[in-house]
Amino acid sequence: MRHLLFQLCRSATSLFRRIRSLLCLAAALAEFGCLRSVQSAVDFDREVRPILAEHCFSCHGPDGEQRKAGLRLDTREGLLGAPGHPGPFVPGKPERSEAIARILAEDAAERMPPMEAKRPLDEEQIRTLRQWVAEGARWQRHWSFEPVRRPALPAIADSSWARNEIDFFIRRRLESESLVPASEASREELIRRLHLDLHGLPPTPETVAAFVQDPAPNAYERLLDRLFASPRYGERMVWNWLDAARYADSNGYQGDRERTMWPWRDWAARAFNDNMPYDEFTVFQLGGDLLPHPTQEQVLATGFNRNHMINGEGGRIPEENRVDYVMDMTETVGTVWLGLTLNCCRCHDHKFDPLSQRDYYGLFAFFNQTPVDGNGGDPQTPPALALPTDRQQARKLRLDAARQSAEQTLRRWENRELIAVQPNEIDDEIRKILDTDIDKRQDWQLNRLLQYAENWRAEYFRQLQTLKKLRQQQGGLNREIPKVMVMKDRAEPRPTFVLTRGLYNKPGSSVAAATPPILPPIPDAQPKNRLGLARWLVSPSNPLTARVFVNRQWALFFGQGIVDTPEDFGVQGQRPSHPELLDWLAAEFMSSGWNVKSLQKKILMSAAYRQSSRITPEKRERDPANRLCSRGPRYRLPSWMIRDQALASSGLLVGDIGGPPVHPYQPAGVWADFTFGKKRYQADKGPALYRRSLYTFWRRIIGPTMFFDAAKRQTCAVKSTRTNTPLHALATLNDITYLEAARVLAERTMIAFDFPKQRLIHAFRRVTGRLPQSEETQILLNQLELSLNEFTQNPTAAEDLLAEGVSLPAATLNPAELAAYASVCSLILNLDESLSKQ
Amino acid sequence: MNPILEHRRRLTRREFLGRTSLGLGAAALATMLETDLHAGNARASGADGLPGGLPHLAPKAKRVVYLFQNGGPSHVELFDGKTTLAAMHGQPVPDSYVSGKRFSTMTGKPVGKLLLAPVEPFKRHGQSGASVSDFLPHTASIVDELCFIKSMRTDAVNHAPAISLLLSGGQIPGRPTMGAWLDYGLGSANENLPAYVVLTSVTKDTTCGQIFYDFYWSAGFLPSRHQGVKFRGKGEPVLYLSNPKGMSRRLRRGLLDSLAQLNGRQYQDFGDPEILSRIAQYEMAFRMQTSVPELADFSDESKDTLKMYGPGVQEQGTFAYNCLMARRLIERGVRFVQLMHAGWDQHNSLTTELYNQCRDTDQPSAALVQDLKQRGLLDDTLVIWGGEFGRTPFIQGNLEDRKRWGRDHHPYAFTIWMAGGGVRSGITYGATDELCMNAAIDPVHVHDLQATILHLLGIDHERFTYKHQGRRFRLTDVHGRVITSILA
Repeated sequence: MRHLLFQLCRSATSLFRRIRSLLCLAAALAEFGCLRSVQSAVDFDREVRPILAEHCFSCHGPDGEQRKAGLRLDTREGLLGAPGHPGPFVPGKPERSEAIARILAEDAAERMPPMEAKRPLDEEQIRTLRQWVAEGARWQRHWSFEPVRRPALPAIADSSWARNEIDFFIRRRLESESLVPASEASREELIRRLHLDLHGLPPTPETVAAFVQDPAPNAYERLLDRLFASPRYGERMVWNWLDAARYADSNGYQGDRERTMWPWRDWAARAFNDNMPYDEFTVFQLGGDLLPHPTQEQVLATGFNRNHMINGEGGRIPEENRVDYVMDMTETVGTVWLGLTLNCCRCHDHKFDPLSQRDYYGLFAFFNQTPVDGNGGDPQTPPALALPTDRQQARKLRLDAARQSAEQTLRRWENRELIAVQPNEIDDEIRKILDTDIDKRQDWQLNRLLQYAENWRAEYFRQLQTLKKLRQQQGGLNREIPKVMVMKDRAEPRPTFVLTRGLYNKPGSSVAAATPPILPPIPDAQPKNRLGLARWLVSPSNPLTARVFVNRQWALFFGQGIVDTPEDFGVQGQRPSHPELLDWLAAEFMSSGWNVKSLQKKILMSAAYRQSSRITPEKRERDPANRLCSRGPRYRLPSWMIRDQALASSGLLVGDIGGPPVHPYQPAGVWADFTFGKKRYQADKGPALYRRSLYTFWRRIIGPTMFFDAAKRQTCAVKSTRTNTPLHALATLNDITYLEAARVLAERTMIAFDFPKQRLIHAFRRVTGRLPQSEETQILLNQLELSLNEFTQNPTAAEDLLAEGVSLPAATLNPAELAAYASVCSLILNLDESLSKQ
Repeated sequence: MNPILEHRRRLTRREFLGRTSLGLGAAALATMLETDLHAGNARASGADGLPGGLPHLAPKAKRVVYLFQNGGPSHVELFDGKTTLAAMHGQPVPDSYVSGKRFSTMTGKPVGKLLLAPVEPFKRHGQSGASVSDFLPHTASIVDELCFIKSMRTDAVNHAPAISLLLSGGQIPGRPTMGAWLDYGLGSANENLPAYVVLTSVTKDTTCGQIFYDFYWSAGFLPSRHQGVKFRGKGEPVLYLSNPKGMSRRLRRGLLDSLAQLNGRQYQDFGDPEILSRIAQYEMAFRMQTSVPELADFSDESKDTLKMYGPGVQEQGTFAYNCLMARRLIERGVRFVQLMHAGWDQHNSLTTELYNQCRDTDQPSAALVQDLKQRGLLDDTLVIWGGEFGRTPFIQGNLEDRKRWGRDHHPYAFTIWMAGGGVRSGITYGATDELCMNAAIDPVHVHDLQATILHLLGIDHERFTYKHQGRRFRLTDVHGRVITSILA
């Protein structure tokens, strides 16, 4: 420490300068002192560390390479020194703190942060630092690295509002801001919210009516339980998991070959439906293959780590590809489980978080053990798990048996030289083939033999032909059977090195598989492989995994996390809006046995969730982004859910679960345009057009055009984006999916009801889940009249509009009338209310 | 958040509510709101980390057209004529030029590779005497408008990483591209069109297999509304732009009016400002339905103009068509137009396909510069022409087999040119060694180019940052210096 300080002082050019700056400091402190005196104590973790991280860590942080003057401000010792060796901040003595002096230095050459860093401190920040020192410079670890402890429920003035523990934390914060929660949303609003949140589909009018009229005191809870029990639940929950797992149906990059990872996708959806505990879910996906006598399911689950892109571009160095893949696995696991931005440490020590480049490669080593060598772009690069259907399996057995029997016969004849009419005709080349055992012969050898054998014994030749056919059938079947890329470690461990600047061909010192030292260690009894890593992630002493997961669950229902940077729980991430609530949920989640449905139920049962999403002018001013949960969530639905809603409310939805991806409508030429005609999109015909969005084929280089603001599925994404652009409006106004849904919705309501008003009310209800107010009905009726005029005057236009989509319009209905209703239904599908959860 | 904008936004909100009760059409009001909201949207994100106001300095350029030549145009064939290289044709490359350098796996170790003279001769052109080969007669005719940088260099040897590095500052996809940065920082000057438009094309009859990845115009971690809008090469330029058959514009207007009325009521009930923004975006969608097709309607272009751009100009999806489209977009205030033309990857086609490549791009590129100049737009429009890297001065292929002569990827030297927008015209900056191998005099890294482009637009590349995953990111990563000697 003395050494550090010495350096610091040496950089001051003269004693005179130092004295002068200390004098200035004294003057400045006198001034600030009176300003800050009335304020409460400074919280290091909340107020001081962010200033240091933002303005100082680039040069004085965890990154040893970039550290200037040997000064380090991200550790307690670096900041405060050790006994006998004072640090740059002297507790209780701002006027004797070198760092404060440098911050206040008048001389620009002296002042910190330096001018050229372009990150000056403002007066408020300087005041905070100074007050913190004056108050004794209490140091704390970054909050997310502290163990999870279940906090006691805070006292609140009005506990009658609270429905469960969550509400105590929410209300406490609102009370401290003198805000009151919003009243409870109506049952119609609540049921639509819940259906969308848990199924991604709207409730039918009948379901709404039943819930609205349900007199049972536990009607709400029963509704929740019903929703949790449906397979639609897994289909909805898995979407975000696919975003995190960068799941797609093709490799990405040039060539972008199609892969068959969909059995893994179906497994993940089932795991949600079965309420597989999150610790098990983790262990299966990260280390399932390493469990003793792993089941097929456990191996299949490891497909998680093989969902990364594969680069098959010519001229690429295989090892460079391979290293890319391993980095992708490392960083994905870092983001999904630890909420840490590990990618910074590929090339250097982390600038802000206590993670070194060495720590990165310690984690990298866990994933560095597969036999994948980075060569080629095979979308089923082994290790892969073949998953035949029952029918395929039966056919496989039949073909195997038939081939064996054909080979048996041939072997017998060959052994007895019962093949050629004149055995001495057989030349050396053919003799060599014949000397190869029959089931080891390659295709070319078999073909060569067939050329020669044409004039040999007819039975022999025919049998050879049969064998060839069987082998072809086997090959065809083999190509048909989906193969899911999974994890498996090589027998011989691959050594891992720190890669200088992250370059595959610049190995530095060697590293062993290890977890970052900032976190509790992996127990000695655990293997130092992926399985050990997975168990370490879900051990109760790991401070991050549960916090990171419950935060994402919160975001799923409230639209934003308690930590608004779900991808970054590090020093530069956002601080939690309700830290105690986050910890309470994390503790509760772990003690429940990582029970996902029960965690979600807890959140959804809260009064906080059940609030109306109406915004008062006061709250718009004081809680504009709803960080305080002063009202219910209101935000635009993800685009895939908007599509599913249109299909469901019109009745077009085909609810089949799982299976290979499908190809719904997409404008012609989109793939071709991106790939110079090498890939062409062929939409499905019939029911596959109306499957849930989850099953849409995801081409990685050009994702499905009907989804906007969707994750790219190129790398891990745990935060959903919501923007608002005219391109989205164009999609929901003009995409065939929505036009056809509007027409079918119109048809069904016209058939079911006789009067315009009834029909419009019903259509509105099918989409929004509520009855329109009379003024709203009037606007719809006026529009209907306008549309009807238009189409009556122009019958061809009506025919044209009705021709959208492959399903045929009901012939019994008047086309002009149907077109008019269809146009109004399209309007209903585009209401802000329809596009939003509220 | 900018308090002035916020104040104005609040005012308009009140106005909206006040007038709705007076019975004014909601859609008309939405239109009134539009300008304010949109302007607000573009800058409100300043809270994320725009330090100080933009521009940081007086901008010379207001708009950019990047004529991106995808695949790595051969600087050796086109711009960088060296007599020594020609004289050493067929001799092995001296070790000192290539030792320790990494090339693609197609080349592997460069030791002993044979040097290859340029295919066509070079001449000096214009008053500036710039050297351009006979491959590019049209470019040669406008050299006095151009600023050549002959000492470009990059870090990546493969296409996608090199293009990503040039356009986004990072080799790995995930960072915002230049156009997205500018859209984010400077906003749009036309409320009927996106601020960042991408147009792609490929040379006819090429064997090129490159793909235009969407991360070439990605918004990266910026809000996704800043991502480039790629106009399609066939059919409607923007997906879902046209109303369905049978839906007249009048009916669409009526439907949007009813929609705005209903959404307006929803706003009154819920008070969520996002609803107003939604109304505004639907209105912009409606306006794009006319502004975009109008863009693509070349019937108001004179015969002379069309002729200037050359044969393919009327054919959607050609480079010539895209160049004229670029001018039309620029005229309408679009901030960043990114043309991407593929087919420059001559591994074995220097004496064959390279001619087609130049045939399809030379004339339209020169025409665009001239056209902008004639219309007085060149002064504040920056035009940039260039690819992601150059090509090896040594041969890929067999010296005897002239028909299959080729060159491999070469990150150590390449040439680009710039025009207009505050760049000195009629100059050549930087130079390679006598074998076109390395940027020898005044090397310009791609980060330097980015810093210079931002500078021309009035932006200090070091202060223009966006905080993401705890770090302040910039287009130039942690590098880049402005090349002051090329500034006018």
